[in-house]
Amino acid sequence: MAATTKTNTQLLIDGILTENPIFRLALSMCPAVGISTTVMNGLLLGIAVLFVQVASSCTISIIKNHIHPRIRIPTYTLTIAMWVTVIDLVLGAYFPVAYKAMGIFVKLIVAFAIITMRLEVFACKNAVSKSFWDGVGMGLGFLFAMVTLGFVRELLGMGTLLGHDILGFRPLLYFALPAAGFIVVGLMMGFFNYADIVYNRMKKG
Amino acid sequence: MKNIVHITVALVISCLVAGVVMGLTFTVTAKAKKHNEHQNVKDTMIALLGYGKANPAPSDLQLHPVYRYIIADGQTQYLGYMVPVRKGAEEAYDLVVLSLQGKFVEEQGLAISPEAAIEPPDREKALRAVLKPPKTFVYADQMVVAKLGDKRLAYLLPGEFPGFKTFISVMLALDPSFRILGLEIMESEEDPGLGGEIKQEYFKHQFTDKKLEKVRKLKVVKEPLPDEYKKYLETRKWKKGMFSKEQIENIRQKYEDSDIYAITGATISSRSVTNGVKGVVKKFAYRANRLDKVIASQHIPVAF
Repeated sequence: MAATTKTNTQLLIDGILTENPIFRLALSMCPAVGISTTVMNGLLLGIAVLFVQVASSCTISIIKNHIHPRIRIPTYTLTIAMWVTVIDLVLGAYFPVAYKAMGIFVKLIVAFAIITMRLEVFACKNAVSKSFWDGVGMGLGFLFAMVTLGFVRELLGMGTLLGHDILGFRPLLYFALPAAGFIVVGLMMGFFNYADIVYNRMKKG
Repeated sequence: MKNIVHITVALVISCLVAGVVMGLTFTVTAKAKKHNEHQNVKDTMIALLGYGKANPAPSDLQLHPVYRYIIADGQTQYLGYMVPVRKGAEEAYDLVVLSLQGKFVEEQGLAISPEAAIEPPDREKALRAVLKPPKTFVYADQMVVAKLGDKRLAYLLPGEFPGFKTFISVMLALDPSFRILGLEIMESEEDPGLGGEIKQEYFKHQFTDKKLEKVRKLKVVKEPLPDEYKKYLETRKWKKGMFSKEQIENIRQKYEDSDIYAITGATISSRSVTNGVKGVVKKFAYRANRLDKVIASQHIPVAF
């Protein structure tokens, strides 16, 4: 793939909608299913991923000409691990309240498929500014997906939103469990595909 | 050959750069992070004692940590308590060694300040100076004695036990007669919506006011939580004038001797917490009585 010709805005929208990491690319499903049990969990993990994605994309983009093609993957992993550690330490030191809630998620990010994949597909072939916007778009897309999943699962599973009682009862406790994550992701994916088809049809007609 | 050199050099350089970045961040943030962790634990303790923003802790509230070590000398084992003592106006730490039967063995001064004693490596250094090889020691646990003026107010006990999937770590507050003053869940990874409910007030406040005799035979019952009791337990949802003082006292007495009502769909988590708390309180009551006897008989000038 040659360097992208898309504009920055287009990259941003691609990440959030047309190439959404979870609903369209189906990457990083593990955290999507495991952690999106509440809106707050989804939001916190989303923010952490956004930071790591942008920082790693920019780093790889800067040093892309010096990476030996045979050792791309170790370099990516090292970069991601470095940024995760830095963010983990900084959060722990200066934002204790956020860290208390986010701590366990931040360390998980090292193994996220979406970040490695964006580095491999995009950052190592494009300029720093483009990579930055791609990182922001993908990060926001992930955040958006996690919050949407969290919204559905928290409301249906626990009858609350952001910890506030909304329904006063628990409609389907099953939705709070990991297995239901797959179902919600599947339904969302179907919805996105459907919206895509309708949109294209409208554009044609 | 050229490729091997290129790859090796490139990887070594990347590793070095990453190492330097992480090392720098660590040096800059380590102190603040440690401070936060201690602060977090301290805040929890103070909250368990019933102080908070609306009701700030009095200035003569003191927290004295006591550390327990297991000491091995050949085949025999001893219990070593690092207790804060008052030497003149200053506070220091003494090591009180007890046999497993609870008999006094020896007492030695330790060269460590109360501030330094918070850090495990500093404690070990001070202990190593007193306990010469072949004696060995391992850290067991700690308790914190809260003192208000010159009266013992409460004991604060960190505890850890297995939950449904991983360990649950808690902080317990007991009054001097070992009645539970409060339970706080520090860390847990139970399923949200099910076992995760142990963090909710309606579960953890059920332990409050349970006396030692009751805790010894505390059980989990699979019955629905009575409505008035649930309302009473969820103090955060209390509205002004919802309960009169009399009502609170009535409900408190009514449920003082009740067992723990299990969380719907999370009997295992409810049982783990109940049994865990039971273990922590029972063991502590036993140890504290023995330690107190020794302190009294040896006239150790403890700070608590």
